[in-house]
Amino acid sequence: MASEPVPPVMEAIRLWTGVECPNAAGLRSLDDFTALIQEFEALRGTLVFEDEPSSFEAALRAEAEPGA
Amino acid sequence: MSDLAELSVTDAASAFAKGEVTAEAMVRACLARIDAHDVKVNTVIRLDREAALEAAAAQDKARAGGVALGKLAGVPMMHKDMYYRTGKVSTCGSKIRRDFTPTVTATALQRLDAAGAIDMGTLNMAEFAQNPTGHNAHFGDCHNPWNLPYCTGGSSSGSGAGVAARFFAAALGSDTGGSIRLPASICGVTGIKGTQTRVPRTGVMPLSFSMDNVGPLTRTARDAARVMTVISGSDDIDPTAAPEAVPDYEAALTGDIRGLRIAVPHEWFFDSADDIVVTAFEAALEVLKARGATVDYVACPSLRAIGAYVAVVSRVEGATIHANWMRDHPGDYAIHLSGRLYGGYAIPGTYYLEALSRRGALLRQFCKEAFIDHDIVATPTLRMRVPTLAETDIDVDPAANWARHMAVSANTRPFNYLGLPTVSVPCGLDDRGLPMGLQLSARPFGEGRALMVADAYQQDTDWHARMPPLA
Repeated sequence: MASEPVPPVMEAIRLWTGVECPNAAGLRSLDDFTALIQEFEALRGTLVFEDEPSSFEAALRAEAEPGA
Repeated sequence: MSDLAELSVTDAASAFAKGEVTAEAMVRACLARIDAHDVKVNTVIRLDREAALEAAAAQDKARAGGVALGKLAGVPMMHKDMYYRTGKVSTCGSKIRRDFTPTVTATALQRLDAAGAIDMGTLNMAEFAQNPTGHNAHFGDCHNPWNLPYCTGGSSSGSGAGVAARFFAAALGSDTGGSIRLPASICGVTGIKGTQTRVPRTGVMPLSFSMDNVGPLTRTARDAARVMTVISGSDDIDPTAAPEAVPDYEAALTGDIRGLRIAVPHEWFFDSADDIVVTAFEAALEVLKARGATVDYVACPSLRAIGAYVAVVSRVEGATIHANWMRDHPGDYAIHLSGRLYGGYAIPGTYYLEALSRRGALLRQFCKEAFIDHDIVATPTLRMRVPTLAETDIDVDPAANWARHMAVSANTRPFNYLGLPTVSVPCGLDDRGLPMGLQLSARPFGEGRALMVADAYQQDTDWHARMPPLA
């Protein structure tokens, strides 16, 4: 039995991507998102306005092993 | 040495360079071993028997002619079937690409070729590198050579199982969430993913643009250092490849870890961990302490955010790459894979971009938490004992097996999000005789440091030298 949010999410996926739910494992995969949403709720407010994806490469170099 | 197939990378290269053995003899020994045992283990997708013997003969001829030999001259290898070679089918472990013939050769393969390695063919893998257990519905599951009903770990299943079974000395795998380190740990061999962008990805099947890594599975840390030195470095075609100069990783393997400071995070890596895994991990730390290292348990609260974000990045990027096939040929995927990919379409774009946007900040925070007073982060590679193929098979029973299947990669995924160089080395056998792994992570571009510690550990232990009973 899929949890309550799953049917509307399946419909949204179909509308946005044209991909249909392939099987029971697909439904199980959507059910996982209840926990993921809770994890993101806990992280709300931590994204800084100026954060940008490209800062990752800069961080790799800033934090590099000394002498590497 | 009674069987040349048992030679490590460095021993094989050394014996060949000294004229003690021919490349052809080493390749024939590996082929004989595959012929004898692979019917049980199922590592091979394509065996290039004649091409391998021709390549070996060319190395033998070059040596006889006094030509300077490469670092891997004469060493038999096979690779995960997602490294493209012009004109050779690369299935990516899938039905969808069963006839895919690339028109490019992977940069990593070109570098191995140039170093004199012998490519004997391609290896089983999780379909499109998308599961952590090694299940494959199209080519058959790969089996753990230590105990056949158990999983090999994935997605580089054939790479881990084949190196453990002494079918070849080394193999390339790929690692987006642990796909090198998991089969290394579960099959009792050594595996490394480098710093994100350290090894070029030209000619390699993509899974997740942001977190894919190329790397080797070998028997020893010294072997891994040799291969990483060969395949790392900038690439004219892959603009994401790091331009930093590549050191000779092998030259740094001094065994001297006096004063090394090891951090063990309190969080995440021990959640619901099996006791026998923790005991083996702590015993491994004692080995390193006896060599002069110190160990501290540290707080790394950033790991909770890292754990949430890493799941989003790979799932969204994987779903994006597969969208056309998921629309047009969903039935051509294994059940577990189409189900897993499907979930990626439900994740909002804002979640995905948040996960990428915080990657740099979280890397800095993790380094502050873990590395400010330490040189290495150590954890168990898996939290759990090795599961069987049956108890992690989502195709048969997604409701019962989903959580166990996903938990296999819990300890490896964070290091993909962080982009840190990370090694797994064997550190024991569990109560069912299956291997366990010690995971060692260093600062960015600290591959040499991680390998040096792994090598020091292997100088005082013999887990890496043990062979599965299959032999």
